[in-house]
Amino acid sequence: MKDTPLARSKIARSEQVNGWLFVMPALALLGIFLVYPILWSLWISLQVGKGSNLHFGGFANIIRLFGDRVFLHALTNTCIFFVVQVPIMIVLALIFAVMLNDSKLWGRGFYRTAIFLPCVTSLVAYSALFRSMFEADGVVNNALLALHLIAEPIQWLTDPVWAKVMIILAITWRWTGYNMIFYLAALQNIDQSIYEAARIDGIPARARFLRLTVPLLKPVILFTSIISTIGTLQLFDEVNNITQGGPGDATLTLSLYIYNLTFQFMPSFGYSATVSYVIVAMVAVLSFLQFMVAREKS
Amino acid sequence: MIPAGKLANRALVHAILAAASFASIFPFYWMVVGATNTSADVIRGKTSFGANLIANIENLLAQVDVGRVFLNSAGLAVVGTVLTLLISSMAGYGFEMFRSHVREKVFALLLLLLSIPFAALMVPLFVMVSSAGLANTFIAVLLPSLASIFIIFYFRQATKAFPSELRDAARIDGLKEWQIFLYVYMPSMRSTYAAATIIVFMLSWNNFLWPLIVLQTPEHKTITLVISALTSAYTPDFGVILVATILATLPTLILFFVLQRQFVAGMLGSVK
Amino acid sequence: MRKFSTALGSAIGCLLVGSGMIASASATELTVWCWDPDFNVPAMQEAAARYNKLHPDVKITIDNIAQNDIKQKLQTQLLAKVTDGLPDIVLIQDDNAQRFLQAFPGAFEPLSDAIDMKKFAPYKVAAATFEGKSYSVPFDSGVTGLFYRTDYLEAAGYKPADLEDITWDQLIKIGTDVKAKTGHDFFDLDFSEAGVVRAMMQSAGKWFLTPDGQPDILDNAPLKAALDTYSKLWKAGIVKPVSGWSAYTGAFTSGEVAAVVSGAWMTGTIKANADQSGKWAIAPLPKLDGVDGATHYSNWGGSSWYVFSSAKEKATAIDFLNTVWANDVDFYQGILVKQGAISSLLAARDGDAYKAVDPFFGGAPVWENFAKWLGQVPAVDYGTFTQEVNSAIQEQLPAIAKGGSVDEALKAINDRVEQQVQ
Repeated sequence: MKDTPLARSKIARSEQVNGWLFVMPALALLGIFLVYPILWSLWISLQVGKGSNLHFGGFANIIRLFGDRVFLHALTNTCIFFVVQVPIMIVLALIFAVMLNDSKLWGRGFYRTAIFLPCVTSLVAYSALFRSMFEADGVVNNALLALHLIAEPIQWLTDPVWAKVMIILAITWRWTGYNMIFYLAALQNIDQSIYEAARIDGIPARARFLRLTVPLLKPVILFTSIISTIGTLQLFDEVNNITQGGPGDATLTLSLYIYNLTFQFMPSFGYSATVSYVIVAMVAVLSFLQFMVAREKS
Repeated sequence: MIPAGKLANRALVHAILAAASFASIFPFYWMVVGATNTSADVIRGKTSFGANLIANIENLLAQVDVGRVFLNSAGLAVVGTVLTLLISSMAGYGFEMFRSHVREKVFALLLLLLSIPFAALMVPLFVMVSSAGLANTFIAVLLPSLASIFIIFYFRQATKAFPSELRDAARIDGLKEWQIFLYVYMPSMRSTYAAATIIVFMLSWNNFLWPLIVLQTPEHKTITLVISALTSAYTPDFGVILVATILATLPTLILFFVLQRQFVAGMLGSVK
Repeated sequence: MRKFSTALGSAIGCLLVGSGMIASASATELTVWCWDPDFNVPAMQEAAARYNKLHPDVKITIDNIAQNDIKQKLQTQLLAKVTDGLPDIVLIQDDNAQRFLQAFPGAFEPLSDAIDMKKFAPYKVAAATFEGKSYSVPFDSGVTGLFYRTDYLEAAGYKPADLEDITWDQLIKIGTDVKAKTGHDFFDLDFSEAGVVRAMMQSAGKWFLTPDGQPDILDNAPLKAALDTYSKLWKAGIVKPVSGWSAYTGAFTSGEVAAVVSGAWMTGTIKANADQSGKWAIAPLPKLDGVDGATHYSNWGGSSWYVFSSAKEKATAIDFLNTVWANDVDFYQGILVKQGAISSLLAARDGDAYKAVDPFFGGAPVWENFAKWLGQVPAVDYGTFTQEVNSAIQEQLPAIAKGGSVDEALKAINDRVEQQVQ
C-alpha cells in the first residue's frame, strides 16, 4: 500500500465507517431499550407520592436520602461488603486460575469444574444449606470447636458482625469460580514462550506471577474488578435469601432496600429510583478510580 | 528426577485445590442428596441418600409441565446466547480495534449505564414492550438483553490481547473487515468465546425478573419462574424443589464441561 | 338452607348474565393468580370445579405464582397502566391489602355491593375495607393458636388444662419448667420475623395506627406489652434463635423445641410429621399481661380474593366468588379436610367437617376450636404502613433479645417510622 496522504485519509475514513458498523447493532438496541427507560426513571426520581399517585417533588427525594437512617445503614453495609469482599475474591480467583493453567497438573479438569460449580448451584439450595451449616450448632461451629479454634459457638446468623462475615463467605464462595473463568480464558492468550524464556532465565515462580502474569492479564483484571464492584454494590440474592437483611438490618444492602421500598413498603417509586442512582454514582466514582489505578501502573 | 522443593510445591497446590473443590462441591452434593429425600428429612438436615427420588420426580411432574418449561428456557437461552455473543462481541471488537474519540465517550457512557439496577428500568421497559404489542412473547424477553454492555466490555478487554499483526496480515491478503472478524478474530479468540458462552448462557438461563414481568400465561413459563412458584408454599416441599433445581442446573453444568476444554493451555498454541 | 343460599347465589349470577354484563356468547375465561401449590391453589381448583358444574361454559385457569412474584407483577403493570396481562382474580395477603388499595386507586373492584360481607368474620372484612367499601372475598383465616408438645409439658408436670386461659407470664413460667425438666427450649424465634409481636398486639385489639391512620408507636400499650413479653421470653432463656423459615419450622417439627405460636395454617406443617401423632395439642393464645382489652384471640397471615376493575370478565368473576366462596358451605368442608383451610365464612363453621376430632392432636376438635376463636379475633385496621413498621421492629429485635431496653427500642422504632412514612 502506498503511503500517500490521500491513501492515509482513505484508510482513516474506512476505519471510522467500519468502527461504527461493528458497534451499530449493539448501540441501536441499547438506544431503544436503555435510553428511554433511563430517561423515564430519572424523571420518576423527581416524583413523590404513593403508588400511581405521583406528583413532581423536585429534589425532595434527594433531601429525603440524607435524613434516611435506613438508607445510610444500607449504604454502610454495602460499602463494607465491597471493600472487604471484592479484593479477596479477585485474588483468590487469580490464584486458582494460575494454578489450573498448569498443563502438567494432574486432575485439573476435575478441579476446574468443581470450583466453577458454586455459581450454577441453585440459590434456593445453597442459601438453605448455608443457613443450616452456619447455625449456632451447625457443622461450621462444630468443626471450629473440634479444632479448638474457638472456645464457644459463633452466632453466625444472629450476631450483626458475624452475619456480615458469613455473607462475605457466601458471596466469595459463589462467585470466585465465575471470575476464575475469565482469567482462565485470558491466560490462553498469553504467549507461552515468554514464560519459557523467563523460566530459562531463572526467574522464580512468584516473580513470574507478579511481573508477567498480572501485567499481561491487566485488562481482564480491570474488567472483573469493575464487574465485581457493580455486582457487590447491587448485592441482593445472598442477603435476601440467607439473612433477609437481618439480624436487625445488619446485612441490609442498597439493592435489598430498593426492593423493599418498591415491593414491600408502600410503593414509592420516585424514592426507590433515587436510591438506584446512588448506586450508579458510586459505580461511576469507583470505576473511574479503578481505571486511573490501572493506567498509572502501565 | 523432580526436586524435593518442587514436589512440596505440587503437594501444596493440590491441597489448596482439593480444599476449595470440597467446599465447592459439598452444597451441590447436598442438593443431590436432598432430591432423594422427603421434605421433612431435608429440613432435619439428613445428609445421606434417601428413597424418595421417584416420588419427588412424580410430584414435580404432577405439578409442572416440565417438558414445556424446559423447552421454553432452553429456547430462550440458546437463541439469546448466540445473538448476544454475535452482537456484543462485534461491538467489543469494534470499540477496541477502531479507535475514535466519539466512540471512546460512548463506551465510557455504556460502562456507567451498566450499573443502573434493572428494577429502576423495569416499568418503562414494560410500557414500551406492551405498546409494541410484544407483551407475553419470547421476543420481548430477548430483545433488551441482546446488546449486553457486560459482554461488550468483556470482549473489548479480551481483544487487547489480540495481536494487531494478525489483522494487518489479513488486510494485506485482501480480506474485508467483516471477513477478518469472522475468519481471523473469532477462531483465534476461541477461549474468550468459550468463557462468554458459559457466562451468557448461565445469565440467560437464570434470568428471572424480566421474564417474570413480561410472560403472563402458564404456557410461557421458564424454569426459574416455576422454581420460584414452588418455593413460595407455606410448607415448601424441599424434595420436589431440589429435583427441580437440579434440572435447572444441569444445562449450564454440561455446557461448562464441554467448553472448558477450550481453556487447556497450549492447545491452540499461542497466537504468533 | 344451604341449598337455598346456593340457589340464591346462582340466581344473582343469572341476573348479571341476563342483564348483559357478560357480553361474550362463547366460552368465558377467568384467570386467577395465587401462590401455594398445596394450599390456596388446590382450594381454588376445587372451587372452580364446583362452579363449572353450574356453569360448564366458564373456563377457569389457575396460575401458581409466588406471592412476592405476584406483588412484582401487579405493581409493575399497575404503575405502567397496562392491565392486559392482569388476571381477573388475585389472592392478596391481608396485611398487604390496604397498601394496594391506596397506592392504586381504582385498580380493584369494590365487592361489597354485590356480595353480603356480613357473612364473613368481621376482622377479615375490615382488612379489605377502604373508604367505606369492601374489596375482597375473604379466604383463609390465620386465627392463632399455641401449638405445643403434650409429652414435653407432661414431663414438666403440666396438663393441657394448665395452658387454657393463662397469661404470657404464666406461659413463660411453664416454659422455664419445661426447659429445666426436659432440656428443650420452649420456642424458636427468627429475628427476621416479627409475626409473634404482631399477633400479641392484635390480640389486644390494636395495630400500629391511630384511628386517623397515623403511626402509633410510643403510646401503644399493647405493642409495648408485646415487646416486653418478647424481651421476657429471651431473658427466661427458653428461646432457640434460628434464621430462615426452614430452620424455624424445623426446630419444632423435629422435637427440638416444645411449642410454637402460629396461624391455623401451621397445622398442616406440624401434621406432616406423622410419627408425632398424639403428641401435640393446640391452646388459645395466652393473654398479654396488664393490658386493657387483652384477649386470647389473634390472627397471623391469611389472605383474600380481589377482582381487578380492568378484568375482562368482571361480572363472571364476581359471580364465581359469590356463588362458591360466599355461599357454598359444602365446599368449605372439603377444603378444610383436604387443605386445612379455615373458612372466614361464618356459616361454614356449622358444617360436619368442623366437628371432626383429630387423633394427631390427642382427639381434640381442633377445627371447631379454631372456628370458635376466629369469631372473636379483634378487628384492626392494618393500614398502609405495616411493612415499614414491621421492618423497624425487626431491626430492634436482636437488641431486645440481648436484654436491651424496650423503651429505647420503641423510641428507635418511632423515629425510623416517622422518617419512612412520608
